[in-house]
Amino acid sequence: MGNESASSPLSRRELLRMIGVTAGSAALYQAMDSLGVAAESPYKGPIDLQGTPKGASVLILGAGVAGMTAALELRDAGYKVQVLEYNARAGGRNWSLRGGDTYTELGGATQTCEFDKGLYINPGPWRIPYHHQGILSYARRLGVPLEPFFQVNYNAYLHSSTGFGGKPQRYREIKADYQGHVAELLAKATRQNALDAAVTKEDQEKLLESLREWGVLDKNYAYVSSNDASERRGFEKNPGGGLSARPIPSRPTALSDILDSKLWMGIPTGDTFDMQTALFQPVGGMGRIGEAFGRELKSVIRYNSKVTRIHQDDHAVTVNYEDTGAPGTTFTAQADWCLCTIPLPILAQIPMNVGTALSAAIAAVPYASAIKVGLQFKRRFWEEDEQIYGGITYTDLPITNIGYPNTGFFSSGKGVLLGAYIWGLNAMEFTSMTPAERVAKVVEYGSRIHPQYTKEFDNGIAVAWHRSPFTMGCYGMWSTATRAKHYDDLCKIDGRIALAGEHASFIGGWQEGAVTSSLDAIGRLHQLAVAKGETA
Amino acid sequence: MNRHGVALLPSIVALSFGLAAAAVADDSAFTSGTSLAKVGGPEIYSRICQGCHMPDGGGAVGAGHYPKLAGDKALVSWQYVALTVLNGKNGMPPFGLPEDQVMETRAVHLSDAQIADVVNYVRSHFGNRYKDKASAEQVAALPHPGTAPATP
Repeated sequence: MGNESASSPLSRRELLRMIGVTAGSAALYQAMDSLGVAAESPYKGPIDLQGTPKGASVLILGAGVAGMTAALELRDAGYKVQVLEYNARAGGRNWSLRGGDTYTELGGATQTCEFDKGLYINPGPWRIPYHHQGILSYARRLGVPLEPFFQVNYNAYLHSSTGFGGKPQRYREIKADYQGHVAELLAKATRQNALDAAVTKEDQEKLLESLREWGVLDKNYAYVSSNDASERRGFEKNPGGGLSARPIPSRPTALSDILDSKLWMGIPTGDTFDMQTALFQPVGGMGRIGEAFGRELKSVIRYNSKVTRIHQDDHAVTVNYEDTGAPGTTFTAQADWCLCTIPLPILAQIPMNVGTALSAAIAAVPYASAIKVGLQFKRRFWEEDEQIYGGITYTDLPITNIGYPNTGFFSSGKGVLLGAYIWGLNAMEFTSMTPAERVAKVVEYGSRIHPQYTKEFDNGIAVAWHRSPFTMGCYGMWSTATRAKHYDDLCKIDGRIALAGEHASFIGGWQEGAVTSSLDAIGRLHQLAVAKGETA
Repeated sequence: MNRHGVALLPSIVALSFGLAAAAVADDSAFTSGTSLAKVGGPEIYSRICQGCHMPDGGGAVGAGHYPKLAGDKALVSWQYVALTVLNGKNGMPPFGLPEDQVMETRAVHLSDAQIADVVNYVRSHFGNRYKDKASAEQVAALPHPGTAPATP
């Protein structure tokens, strides 16, 4: 790979490589989609369902974002709707853990969240890009206030366990220096006529001018310590007022240190379409959206309902379910149509009479391993000691990133960090530990970046998605091959049953995938219902 | 293959695993792509499988269930177990994808020898007492995911 890097400008391939390493597979996957085909949400405003047949009914399985989007719209369109939900709460993966909440994972380990009032962690989704207009529109309709989510914080860190002696570097410095050094090299190549074949003489002048500006180069096109460069990377001593006012410029890090540490990989984390400013989060936690949906749909959701069988015939869909509080007692629900948002690993185990194509699709999608760990500290040392207000630190340690709260700035008292957000093999290894072991490991690793961890740690909570009783994994990981073979089959209506959820979208792992897949599915179900209604 | 297909992926794997190797070399709690290759059946189970199938092989029940390996009669067939590990099942990731195809789905690659080893481990622990063993060669002869069918 070194050869490619040396011989060609930043390619799509390299960009993807950087994103994959620094931002995790979800970002990589989305980046691949967004670089190939635009992954912009197809949400085009509220769905308009006219002509609902009198008395038509839809049974919705799952009170997550997809299920409740459907329930809201179908109810408003005049359908009789009922929602069955396994959990005792609405939201599904749209979920916040707050002080006093308990969570029992598969295997039986129960954790009680001991965070202070007002503090929370989002075990599932935690950020909403501005172009996810579907989920944003539901937040607005449901009266859920939103606030900014900072993906990029120039004063947060990029950290390599081996580079720079293991000392975290400010994003600002690495970005400015990498840019400065690259600009200098490119300027040098231009002036030595190495680009004559690629760039006209006239354009070379323009390019040099832009490189000087872009990289903050001096009059000789060199990237050196200066007040101008420090306006990008920060000063040794900041400018101030009075007699102590004079700034002292900082010294750039060497290009070789940036290359050796590979910290350049963390630079483009905010450049992917899904991570570009502006991003948002609900005030009070992502779970506020699910909770608001739940309040709105209170009369139609039955909680603690475990679906055990789905059966359709020419006239209706019949679903058997158990009350999780009274296993063994079977209840029955019936409707003209069924929108099923049950995550695929679970749905694959539920008897359901659909065609072989849909059955094969349901069984074909592996679910991602991911964990998130929330840590409460006795004070907001990242703000008080290090002036980090929101955003994310990226590291090559197994914790992958540290997310700082994007709210409650400058408040006294305790604070909660996202101490780890992990994918892949390391996530499987974390999943294999007890919750207490996961938290202890995350604190141990985080203390290499913030030594304050050791003294200030208060308590923590760890959610490993493969241990989640209601999803059995984080989200559906389609490969190009499985998508080509099964995706359309998964989304097509089979008789009276339609599937929806992030797994039935090209925005996998994002709430927008759940919203748009739900709207797409109910639009098609509605057409069928209207057609049937007319012939009835 | 479309333009953001799997051809992109091998270099991503190499780089990220290289990084992880440097990062975790001093912590036996975590493997990396490089050191995972050296891990045998018992450790594969305790690092990966038990996340879902649980430390005692007891499985778990929620809205769905993770199969209990202890006393599972299907384990009589090592081929069944090996094929499940190779190809995954119902949300379980495939562990038999070629190394250059794992990154797209953040899957994990295990070698045929490792799969044989962990299959033998599962079939001889948690109260299971099957005597016949699978070999790396036998696992290699089973259908693997991600391999293109032979073209004429």
